[in-house]
Amino acid sequence: MPKLTADDLIKIRKKARDTINLRKGTDRAKITVHMGTCGIASGANDIMEAVLQEIETRNIKDIIVTSSGCAGFCSKEPMATVDLPGKPPVKYVELTKEKIIKIFSEHILDGKIVDKFALAIGSERIY
Amino acid sequence: MEQTKLDEIISANGNNRKSIIPVLQEIQATYNYLPKEELQYISEKMDIPLIELFSIASFYSSFSLTPRGKHLVQVCLGTACHVRGAHRVLDESKKRLQIEPDETTDDQQFTLKTVNCLGACALGPIVVIDNDYHGNTRAQKVNAILAQYKSVNNNGNDTTE
Amino acid sequence: MKHYRAHLLICTGTGCVSNGSFKIKEALEKEITKQGLADEIHVDTKGCNGFCERGPIVIVQPEGVYYQRLKVEDIPHLVKEHFIEGRPVEKLIFVPPKEKQSVPNISDIEFFKHQRLITLKNRGRINPEKIDEYIAFDGYDALSKALTQLTPTDILSEIKTSGLRGRGGGGFPTGTKWELCHNQKKTPKYIICNADEGDPGAFMDRSILESDPHSVLEGMIIGAYAIGASEGYIYVRDEYPLAVKRINLAIQQAEEYGLLGDDILGSGFNFKIKVIRGAGAFVCGEETALISSIEGRVGEPRQRPPFPIQRGLWKKPTTINNVETWANVPNIVSRGGEWFASLGTENSKGTKIFSLVGKITNTGLVEVPMGIPLGDIIFNIGGGIPGNKKFKAVQTGGPSGGCLPMELLNLPVDYQRLAEAGSIMGSGGMVVMDEDTCMVDVAKYFLTFLLDESCGKCFTCRKGIQRMLELVTDITEGRGTLKKLELLEELAQVVKDTTQCGLGQTAANPVLSTLRYFRNEYLEHIVDKHCSAGVCRQLFISPCQNACPADTNAAAYIAYISAGRFEDAMLELLNTNPFPSVCGRVCDHPCQLKCRRNQIDDSVAIRSLKRFVGDYFLQSGKFPKMRVPDTKLQHKIGIIGSGPAGLGAAYFLARLGYQTTVFEEHNVAGGMLAEAIPESRLPNSILAQEIKAIEDMGVEIKLNSKIGVDISFKDLMNNGYDAFFVAVGMYGDRSLGVEGEDLLGVFQGVDFLRDVNLGKPQYIANQRVAIIGGGNTAVDAARTCVRMGAKEVTIIYRRTQEEMPAFLEEIEDSLEEGIKLITLAAPVQIIGDNGKVTGIQCIRMDLDIFGKDGRRKPVPKKGSEFIIDADVIIPAIGEFADIEQLFEGLEVETWDNGTIKVNEAGQTSIPNVFAGGDVSTGPATVIKAIGAGQKVAESIDQFLFGKNNKTYPWRIHKPADVEFDMDAEPVEFSRQKPNRIPLEKRIKSFDEVEQVFSKEIAIKEAKRCLRCEMEVELLKEK
Repeated sequence: MPKLTADDLIKIRKKARDTINLRKGTDRAKITVHMGTCGIASGANDIMEAVLQEIETRNIKDIIVTSSGCAGFCSKEPMATVDLPGKPPVKYVELTKEKIIKIFSEHILDGKIVDKFALAIGSERIY
Repeated sequence: MEQTKLDEIISANGNNRKSIIPVLQEIQATYNYLPKEELQYISEKMDIPLIELFSIASFYSSFSLTPRGKHLVQVCLGTACHVRGAHRVLDESKKRLQIEPDETTDDQQFTLKTVNCLGACALGPIVVIDNDYHGNTRAQKVNAILAQYKSVNNNGNDTTE
Repeated sequence: MKHYRAHLLICTGTGCVSNGSFKIKEALEKEITKQGLADEIHVDTKGCNGFCERGPIVIVQPEGVYYQRLKVEDIPHLVKEHFIEGRPVEKLIFVPPKEKQSVPNISDIEFFKHQRLITLKNRGRINPEKIDEYIAFDGYDALSKALTQLTPTDILSEIKTSGLRGRGGGGFPTGTKWELCHNQKKTPKYIICNADEGDPGAFMDRSILESDPHSVLEGMIIGAYAIGASEGYIYVRDEYPLAVKRINLAIQQAEEYGLLGDDILGSGFNFKIKVIRGAGAFVCGEETALISSIEGRVGEPRQRPPFPIQRGLWKKPTTINNVETWANVPNIVSRGGEWFASLGTENSKGTKIFSLVGKITNTGLVEVPMGIPLGDIIFNIGGGIPGNKKFKAVQTGGPSGGCLPMELLNLPVDYQRLAEAGSIMGSGGMVVMDEDTCMVDVAKYFLTFLLDESCGKCFTCRKGIQRMLELVTDITEGRGTLKKLELLEELAQVVKDTTQCGLGQTAANPVLSTLRYFRNEYLEHIVDKHCSAGVCRQLFISPCQNACPADTNAAAYIAYISAGRFEDAMLELLNTNPFPSVCGRVCDHPCQLKCRRNQIDDSVAIRSLKRFVGDYFLQSGKFPKMRVPDTKLQHKIGIIGSGPAGLGAAYFLARLGYQTTVFEEHNVAGGMLAEAIPESRLPNSILAQEIKAIEDMGVEIKLNSKIGVDISFKDLMNNGYDAFFVAVGMYGDRSLGVEGEDLLGVFQGVDFLRDVNLGKPQYIANQRVAIIGGGNTAVDAARTCVRMGAKEVTIIYRRTQEEMPAFLEEIEDSLEEGIKLITLAAPVQIIGDNGKVTGIQCIRMDLDIFGKDGRRKPVPKKGSEFIIDADVIIPAIGEFADIEQLFEGLEVETWDNGTIKVNEAGQTSIPNVFAGGDVSTGPATVIKAIGAGQKVAESIDQFLFGKNNKTYPWRIHKPADVEFDMDAEPVEFSRQKPNRIPLEKRIKSFDEVEQVFSKEIAIKEAKRCLRCEMEVELLKEK
């Protein structure tokens, strides 16, 4: 790969941001499983596996499944965040395989937040 | 280990003083300990006195000069785990395995180690066996956790007790 | 405080920020200044509203107008129209939907609300394994700016302006360190990222490397450019495999993009980074030891100076900073040093990440502005202590730090204030400790840790720590003496003064800081051989026994119950407590709170089991008679007060052969037990039977004898008594101190309960009753009123429900019975008409700073007064010791609060007069009173016969000879619950609410006990 220039960085930024914010218009949802050491130790791998399994059995192509680091709230791990286009992110906590499957079908596919597993709506404050 | 393998490790890390620790780490990862013959070979090849290798190997806690068991049981004794009762988990582990920390069971199944904080304090007390984290461990749960790793030998007998 | 006519609140949740809210903020500030409105309009940030798709959002307060999807070009128009012309800009306005959402906004959740993410801004939102995602949120923008627009000197000055200090422990100003290294002539220069995060309880560096590795790389590249370094190293702990993996991947991706390597971003600047895995040595966190380790040597620290900036890695100038410090750099470069310096305190700028762990409800990583009060972190963000336990201390700064007590909860957390308090910031670990943590054991823990990690180079560190550990171990195992404590303190000072590196110099801190704030715990271990936290195993038999103020070994009687040997159980119980059936009903059961079965499911129902045994013998009429010596001693003891302390002492003294006479001012014995506890909790007949058993042992009780009135104490002293025990409790009702207390319809709590118990008619039926207070008296009075047919019963308490001193079960029951609870309110005045109560005016309370007792102080909220209509007011805010009459003509020393001063033996300033129970301790519990009676019986015996090394029968704890397999898995069934009479019946009568266990259920429940006392036998075998 050729070396980047400052302008290249800006281009990459714009493109990546659109993908992350689901602004490309092709993806209908994004699910982020938080996978730091704490998360993994509490079972985040199983959550990820369950999501991938759902995607596979339902043969879904337009949902982004991704992972990120620790979400900071260790005692509530495993955690996941669901983003739908034009909607604030929803954080789910203390997940189990059963819970994530329910979240998958009700929230990701059907747009209805699963209240009893959700911790909060919105994103963290950045100064 | 074949000498060619050792040569590979040395050349991959660089045959110089600063590579000693990475080289030893790789040998440790391969053998689960640092065998004497390998250390002697390294000493000659890298031109570092054996006594110095020994000094490094005994200083850093991730090296072991004796073979470790099939499963490494690490009981975290970080402060957060400690205040949540890690010492009782350790006592129970010692009792169940009948070994002290840094010892290996006679059947070479388990090595018990204590570790100063794994940085997963929210889940304390933590026991890590091989790469599995067992969070919120209580003394009363230790036996059941260990049982998951006990292998069954040819006679069908439990090999650890 | 400055007053503005409007506040503009800009959402800085991640969503709005990625839509450009910082740019909007800048534009607003610029425009407002330009228009000369800076003194009138204030611009600030706020948390997420959940309208992320409409971001950036700006809210105008006080109008509450929301502007959405703002662009920089909208701003001049908006400012002009809205703030100069007074015309809100319709097309930008957004009206938030009214319906209430069922899931809260993140900015309403305490854990998130107080946090300000700078270093952790990418946590949870980017995939750390994808460089493009880092770039998406302005990643490498700061680097681009640094390399294309700034000179190294510009960066150095920006970092210096920011006031950033090392986040790894030392707190050295980062800009100064960089500049010193920059000015060194020797080349090449190196930079090192210290990721050997060794402080137990701290894991922010791991988390940053795992969740946002590029931020560290970017910081290092910028640093290298500013300093003039060509190579960098990241030294990562071996215990962090995931962090190692992710940082290596990040380096690889940055290299592919040319962000590491030669000619970075076409600037001509070259820099590369290599990861070194540590091999497990805490001391390598010390910078000179870390350098030795990278060089391939044993990680021993060396003398400084020369400092690494002068002579570091391979003897070349080297700058070492930790992960969090490096990760702060890109933010400072992109947003400016001044912005960073606007956060935090005078000497500590910016934010700091803390890892909140230990005995805390919300564990996690929190990033907060420096200077936030310690208590806010623990109680607001952390959600306080789980399991209804009390906060004891927070350990900050790892093994080199210290433990801070509840008196310091208001401490603003910054470098200087922590140091003044005897701790350090360290890398930001905060280990919270509760009442179950023993501080001597904590000191022992850290010494063990440090002994293991001392490199051994300095003698004073190597041997000094070892010797300190021996001394502390002696204390925890019951071999401590005051002399050893003195030696420990001296030794700690020597180790501090005579070792070379940070590890040794601070090795004594855990001892010194625990001694500074928790000396009492050391003394408790040394003098009383008692560990009240229940940790030091050699000092007690079982956690339940250790927790019991009367030293009852519950484990033993429970074992007997499990075997169906009820008589043995009863004898075991009676050995330490003459009131099994009473305590089986009203004890606050400290034993259950410490029961280890809690860790599996729920504690053993110890109180209910106790009641089962007691009632079993009361009902069968075969109450075992405790043995008293055949020949009585000649000594006569006078006891004043027939509550649990007085009768308890009489019981224990009788067993030693003393002749005792108990004087009771009322016409019934039992003190508060008889007078203040309603029938529904403690039937009088039960109490009477247990008192009768004490009388059967030869104890004489004289009713209607008020000392000081019927006969003076002075005269009594001449009546042939050898010693006295004063246990008159606290009988004076505290007044509210508000207007209207003399109105008709105001009854004092204890008076009211006594009158009801003694059968005096009360006119409560169909009345509206307001009760003030949060203790058992208040709750008992309220439940009594319900049973007497009150129309409405309200309890008013000035703190929160969780803080009510009444028993949890009683509070829950009272709510079930329809009692209204108004918390965070206090009375202002009692309102009346024609001399009779018509209501009570109250004021709402806010919780303010922490008091010395670790609780937030309630303060009245101005203008929040409200009125509750009521016909009867019952103040029950506590009692005081009313002893003036009693001691008339005698000089007895008292404390400021009126309680009697006693020494450890319970002796007052008059040598043969002892005191105990509430009158000397202040309000306490039944079981504490019984414990006091026990102790005073021993003291009186020793007063009369000298210290005789006698082991008193109630101090002998024989293990129960009931077999138990320690290796078997604990029985699985959960806790048995006693039956309760139905609610409808309950509120209409004074029938006892809770029923006794059946024999079968009691045996079943007893089998849940883990028999912790067996461990001691194992310890002895060792």
